[in-house]
Amino acid sequence: MAVSLSQEIKAEPNLTPILDMVFQLITFFMLVINFKTAEMDLSLKLPVVGSARPVETYGRRGLLVLNIDNAGNLKIYGRAITNIDAYIRNEALAAMMSHRLTPDDLAAGEELPTTVVIRADRSTPFRRINRVVRVCQDNGFRNFALKAINKED
Amino acid sequence: MRKRRKKRPQSEVELNLAAMLDMAFQLLTFFILTFRPSPLEGQISLRLPPPQPVAVVRGGQPAGTDYSNPNPIQGLNTLTISIFAHPKTGTITALGLGEAPVPSLAALDARLKQVLSDVGNPFEQVILQVSESCRYDELMKVIDICTRQQLPDGRKLSKLSFVELPGE
Repeated sequence: MAVSLSQEIKAEPNLTPILDMVFQLITFFMLVINFKTAEMDLSLKLPVVGSARPVETYGRRGLLVLNIDNAGNLKIYGRAITNIDAYIRNEALAAMMSHRLTPDDLAAGEELPTTVVIRADRSTPFRRINRVVRVCQDNGFRNFALKAINKED
Repeated sequence: MRKRRKKRPQSEVELNLAAMLDMAFQLLTFFILTFRPSPLEGQISLRLPPPQPVAVVRGGQPAGTDYSNPNPIQGLNTLTISIFAHPKTGTITALGLGEAPVPSLAALDARLKQVLSDVGNPFEQVILQVSESCRYDELMKVIDICTRQQLPDGRKLSKLSFVELPGE
């Protein structure tokens, strides 16, 4: 039977299941999203150490993440830091202010509670890492965490 | 008399889900594009105070002068681990504990266990003397061995200091 042109056939798909599925996917991605990966330089090849443990700070302490490539360059949030001393000094000042410490407190033996997380490439020579460590020590940092992976990918 | 209700024609409320679906897809696209799973990383937690002078010796005995002492580490307040590396490749070529050479990493592990478990000989600091060319992964092997050691009071060794050895 022929359908007259005046009678339009409306196709109305049920969008509810697809919307349900999309919301479930959004919920999944919202739960697994981790903005902390932005501060990691994922191009670095970390050393393999069997006894390396996951981070256990439970949010009590501040973390200062330093990415060091094999040429000794310091990268923070993907940006190369040219003046390492000034950057770490500023971070130390910020940590001192947030923990209400003064330079006199540090001179009297207090230390900054911030943990310096060092993510260095496995082929970096020791002198380049030690330079950064020494600058951190000179500015009152004593707690360090050396990043490594448990096994080779 | 019972009133008869008039049956009204049911009007269907039709929500336009297309706009909501558009927005949901935009959100989904954002999350998919920004999704980067964090790598499974571990860490070795250390306290790294600046190194103190090594000259402190118990009983006024200067280090390395008592030739009759078969254990040169005995009497020193500072335990020194020396790591010598190849200047080009950065791999470990020689190890030392105190003034005595150590043939391998396994031997260093065994020797450290023996030295650090000695209750009568507590060390105030453990210094790693490392060649400037030593690769980070090679150094981490030694740090790994150090942090696995247990001190006489039951705590793990986590306080180390680094000293840079000049290149050859």
